Amino acid sequence: MGKNKPPAKYSAAGLLWRGLRKQSWPRVWREPEFKSTYDVVIIGGGVHGLATAYYLASNHGITNIAVVDKQYLGSGGSGRNTAIVRSNYLTPEGVAFYDRSLDLYNSMSNDLNLNVMFSERGHLTLAHTDSALRTMNWRAEVNKLQGINSSVITPAEIKKLTPSLDVSADTRYPILGALYHPPGGTIRHDAVVWGYARGADAYGVDLHQKTEVLDILVEGGSGPEGKGPSGKVTGVRTSKGDIHAPVVVNCTAGWASQLSNMAGVTLPITTHPLQAAVTEPVKTFLPTVVVSGSLHVYVSQTDRGELVFGASVDPVATYNMSGTLEFTEELAGHVLELMPGISKMRLLRQWAGLCDMTPDYSPVMGPTPVDGFYVDVGWGTYGFKAGPVSGEQMAACVANGTTPELIKPFELSRFTEGTLVGEKGAAAVGH
Amino acid sequence: MSHRLPAPLGDVIDRSSVISFTWNGKKLQGFEGDTIASALLANGEHILGRSMKYHRPRGVLTADFWDPNTTVQVDDEPNVRASHRKLADGMAVSAQNVWPSLKFDVKAANGLVGRFLTAGFYYKTFMKPAKLWPAYEHVLAKFAPGGSVDLDTPHGRYDKRHAHPDVVVAGGGPSGMAAALAAAEAGSSVMLVEHEHQLGGHLLWGSNDDRAAANELAAACAAAGVEILTNSTVAGRYEDNWISISQRSHPGVIERLIKARGKTLVGAAGTIERPYVFQGNDLPGVMTSGAAQRLIRMYGVKPGTRAVVFTANESGDSAVEALQSAGISIARVVDARAGEGITSASGSKSRVKRVTLSDGTTVECDLLVTAVGWTTPTSLLNMAGDRPVYDADAARFFPAGPPDNVLATGGMIGDGSRDELIAHGRATGELAAGRAAVVRHRLQAATARAAAVDGPEPDYPADERTPLDRAQHPELYRSTTHGIVDYSEDVSSKDLFSAAGEGFDSVELIKRFTTATMGPSQGKLETVNTVAVLAEARNETIAEVGTTVWRPPYAPISLGALAGRINEPTRVSVLQPWHEANGATPILAGQWVRPEHYGDPAAEVRNTRTNVGIIDVTPLGKLDLQGPDVPKLLNLLYTNKWMALPIGGVRYGLMCAEDGVVLDDGVTARLGEEHYLMTTTSSGAAKIWNWIEMWLQTEHPDWQVHVTPVTTGLTSINIAGPNSRELLGRLTTDIDLDPTAFPYMNVRRGTIAGVQNCIAWRIGFTGELSYEIHVPSGHAVHVWEQLLDQGADLGVKAFGLEAQRIMRLEKGHFIVGQDTDGLSKAPVTGLNPLLKLDKDDWAGMPEVAWTMESGDHPVIVACQPDNGSVVPEEAAQILRAGTTEIVGRITSSRMSPTLNRSICLAQVTKEFAAPGTSLEVLLVSGERITATVQEHHAHFDPEGARLRG
Repeated sequence: MGKNKPPAKYSAAGLLWRGLRKQSWPRVWREPEFKSTYDVVIIGGGVHGLATAYYLASNHGITNIAVVDKQYLGSGGSGRNTAIVRSNYLTPEGVAFYDRSLDLYNSMSNDLNLNVMFSERGHLTLAHTDSALRTMNWRAEVNKLQGINSSVITPAEIKKLTPSLDVSADTRYPILGALYHPPGGTIRHDAVVWGYARGADAYGVDLHQKTEVLDILVEGGSGPEGKGPSGKVTGVRTSKGDIHAPVVVNCTAGWASQLSNMAGVTLPITTHPLQAAVTEPVKTFLPTVVVSGSLHVYVSQTDRGELVFGASVDPVATYNMSGTLEFTEELAGHVLELMPGISKMRLLRQWAGLCDMTPDYSPVMGPTPVDGFYVDVGWGTYGFKAGPVSGEQMAACVANGTTPELIKPFELSRFTEGTLVGEKGAAAVGH
Repeated sequence: MSHRLPAPLGDVIDRSSVISFTWNGKKLQGFEGDTIASALLANGEHILGRSMKYHRPRGVLTADFWDPNTTVQVDDEPNVRASHRKLADGMAVSAQNVWPSLKFDVKAANGLVGRFLTAGFYYKTFMKPAKLWPAYEHVLAKFAPGGSVDLDTPHGRYDKRHAHPDVVVAGGGPSGMAAALAAAEAGSSVMLVEHEHQLGGHLLWGSNDDRAAANELAAACAAAGVEILTNSTVAGRYEDNWISISQRSHPGVIERLIKARGKTLVGAAGTIERPYVFQGNDLPGVMTSGAAQRLIRMYGVKPGTRAVVFTANESGDSAVEALQSAGISIARVVDARAGEGITSASGSKSRVKRVTLSDGTTVECDLLVTAVGWTTPTSLLNMAGDRPVYDADAARFFPAGPPDNVLATGGMIGDGSRDELIAHGRATGELAAGRAAVVRHRLQAATARAAAVDGPEPDYPADERTPLDRAQHPELYRSTTHGIVDYSEDVSSKDLFSAAGEGFDSVELIKRFTTATMGPSQGKLETVNTVAVLAEARNETIAEVGTTVWRPPYAPISLGALAGRINEPTRVSVLQPWHEANGATPILAGQWVRPEHYGDPAAEVRNTRTNVGIIDVTPLGKLDLQGPDVPKLLNLLYTNKWMALPIGGVRYGLMCAEDGVVLDDGVTARLGEEHYLMTTTSSGAAKIWNWIEMWLQTEHPDWQVHVTPVTTGLTSINIAGPNSRELLGRLTTDIDLDPTAFPYMNVRRGTIAGVQNCIAWRIGFTGELSYEIHVPSGHAVHVWEQLLDQGADLGVKAFGLEAQRIMRLEKGHFIVGQDTDGLSKAPVTGLNPLLKLDKDDWAGMPEVAWTMESGDHPVIVACQPDNGSVVPEEAAQILRAGTTEIVGRITSSRMSPTLNRSICLAQVTKEFAAPGTSLEVLLVSGERITATVQEHHAHFDPEGARLRG
């Protein structure tokens, strides 16, 4: 982390020392003064925004940055996802991208000096039909050639890895096999947010929570109010006042299209809720991450003993995050198909997050027709997995003024140039 | 039962009925009516578990559903609330979070190093060396709280019920009962839901008069026809008063989920008594005033012998009376209203022994009862969109104002005498009934087949209730010392202070960092104390800090109840019994169970190619489309042109998603002037129906098209093979099968085997002369049997899905989703003549146009392994020779019984698509073989002579 270390290094020795001396830890990040001018304003204090800020500072020496969030850090998708990471994607672009992300996650605890509790526990994608098994075989063969540790395993092998799964043949959704990806796993999503926030703060990045962006200031554009294409961004108007900045990066989810509209940039995004739920804790019994595309469910058990469930996005586009009863009913039914022995476990809490879906299930990253206005949005259901690498690449994009190769396929211009990308085949339930 | 008090204490236990159970293997007895916890206390067992992190011994704290200290394992059920669950004969009860035993717990050593294990300590360590983290994680996971799942637990009996009451009342205390009674008297159908085991709420542990009043009200509710659900919880309130109720008391089932559409919801959940934060507040023997009163008055259990009572309200005063009635000596009453306070408690490992007061004096005791105030369980109102507001004078949050169809009464909104609470409840019930009546009237008026409404719509009643007063209450959250704030998560006020000091200083951040309020009671006991401690740490008011959003469910619901009777239906054709009786091997294909084959798929192929075969293809998606704008719809969704399809014509079409990726394919026939029948792939049936409705409803609501799915209404049978015309001819008199009268890709309607209104079209997936007939399903068995009877001499035999798959591969027909995938844009199929870029628009056209322009896409080709005995796997990758560069993959492969060699379809990059190109195929085994690209997709009869004959 170089010379810009956080004020106190986290370590076992530190815990011991402060415990003995009854000394408290310093603030994890400052409560910064609100300034009216920055070099870069990043909208969205989630993993993507904070990672972008962190890498702008650490890799490119740009530190006069404000990260603004209308709520608290990690209040959006970063704190609502089910914290699953993997890299067994299907397209070479997807694999390269997520493999880099997994690398960053792997070394993150030490890079950021905060334990993000990456649990490389193995990731199982179940196949319940011939056609699903065919897709698993396909993915395994591609991954094998790409050097990704991923293979199709038999029901007996599945049972050995994850005894709670019912692999008998006479079930409604028999488990015929699974794609097994040992490097996949879970991570403590809040810790990732805090790690990047603390790291960025140490470089002098100002983190403004409870600061809502009300407008994006653009001059000289061809649209109404001088916004839109060929305009130049000059800053943002927030609930705490205006900030002038030549660069504004939209790193939001859920409201990405509304925010971009403020700059006169239209994004091909619809927003759907994705629901999740958690049970009461029990002693750990589920050692792997289990995903079933046919049953629209993925499940893992946290170190605290809770089962965390997620589903696919709700079919209806809405900003309503209140969740539905039907989701919990369908979820429970499907989970009990997979693991009949846990009917007496209880659902403790349900919630929803917002997913910004693009027509090709791929993000929109890089510059926009408004000079100085960048986006890192449209992450659908898998933004968390991609957080670190997105931040790293967006930082390079903003700092160098050119789009790095890794995210070139995701530029906004693809929608008008006919070069859509897609991971739909591999990411039907993308976890 | 050494700690049992004599009657009349113990209202709810039946001393004549003794129940035997075991506690950590030890045989004990209790009475009918006991909770597990009350029975254990009666037996002198006052440590019921250990805390999650420090493994400190824990005893009864609240003696009700929310008690965080008394979750136990009962048989195969983890996390049972011992202070709520009724004792039952033969229960094997054991403590959780103990190792190796409740009395001696090795992990309690964590308590000694507690100062190093501050909240979130794990974020700060275990980072180096990185490779040891999995081992650390393994140890951390050992501290997961809670009971154990027995993976062999059978799926017991769970059920669901739908209900449409006028009024749902959540909470059966005085206000709730009064509301239910008043609503019922006003003519409403009412559900009264109480999560404890009997109605009465706080009256149950009150004075004799209170208990008499409770019984009277409960009886009146029953007499008025209120549906009373005890041991049931209103768990969730979703949009439009869609209310979930977890009913744990329904006979014969473990738990039942009631889904009620309440016209009005009355929140009458009362209040929850808050624990006080001070050093030693989690010692066994420290409990709330409600707990002491419940144990004594309801269960006849003596919670101690010498008590200190710290009271700020009437509940504490009432507890003093209860303790005295139980013969417990009162060592000291510490009255907060007189400025007195307590600072800490201490004791042995297992029990409180003394209390230190604010003035420094120390009082010996074995029971410390606190009455420091109330938390409003605003959870249900939160779910209705209400955001509670803090009232410093009353020292609790109150609802700000829920929507019109949600009303609150009782302790949730104020305080009062029993009579005042009942009066407010009655007024609320009347209002709820009045509002429900308006909704009922509107629903009845809007329902075509309902009886005519009686009179004009009643006026929507305004809320003219006299509000309940809010009693003044001192703000008592934390003493001058630090203690536990979240018992189930073992989070102390000190943890919260240090977390706030570290910058986790908003209520959501502190919750996430320390896990306070995240445990099984979801903050019912902890949230307000957490907020208060945070406010103190930030030097702000509680109102400034605000509270968190409570999410459903109000109380945890078992996965079993949410799932109900597990019933994932499968679909079958009406012919399925015939298939089963005739040796079919079933295969699950999506929702459908279908015959994979009848013993020998290769023989089925040969018979069909030689004689005639029939296959049940009912799962084909079928949509009946009617209206003048059907052609516009077809033109929009299919890539080819549909404006000029004549009546009697059938056309193949390909559909794309908006990204140009192949979505589905099938044939559509024009049956009449404005009448079409569309078929989709079997797996795409529901998806395409949704797709069509999406376009019609969101983009073209002006188009006149009626869409009716008729997939199962029509049983579909394909008759394929050289003898198919002869066979069908024997069954129909009014369809002219002459090839000139009924050519390929045409449709006719007529009578088949005496069944009118059948549809026959000449198409075929198998490459043979074939007729696909759609028969009204009620007559399908007859038609199927007639085909077999009449065709016996023609060699007719049924064939299954596998034979069909082989024949379609021999013919080189691709299957959407198998030979195409989520990345395959339409040009991949090679059907470029069907991709009409000169149409105005169709779904996916711009993307397809770009793809065709760039030419940069793979294509589907037929290929044959050079060694015809090797069948490469469907997934085998095609590589640039000698490298690992992927240039394609095998998408379909079979051994062809017709050609006696292996045949494949593959997707390859254009460079490798030319006929004659040699492909290097990497088998799953790692072996590489070669295959050659064929000139046509069809491996067999590429000219289609058989098909068109």
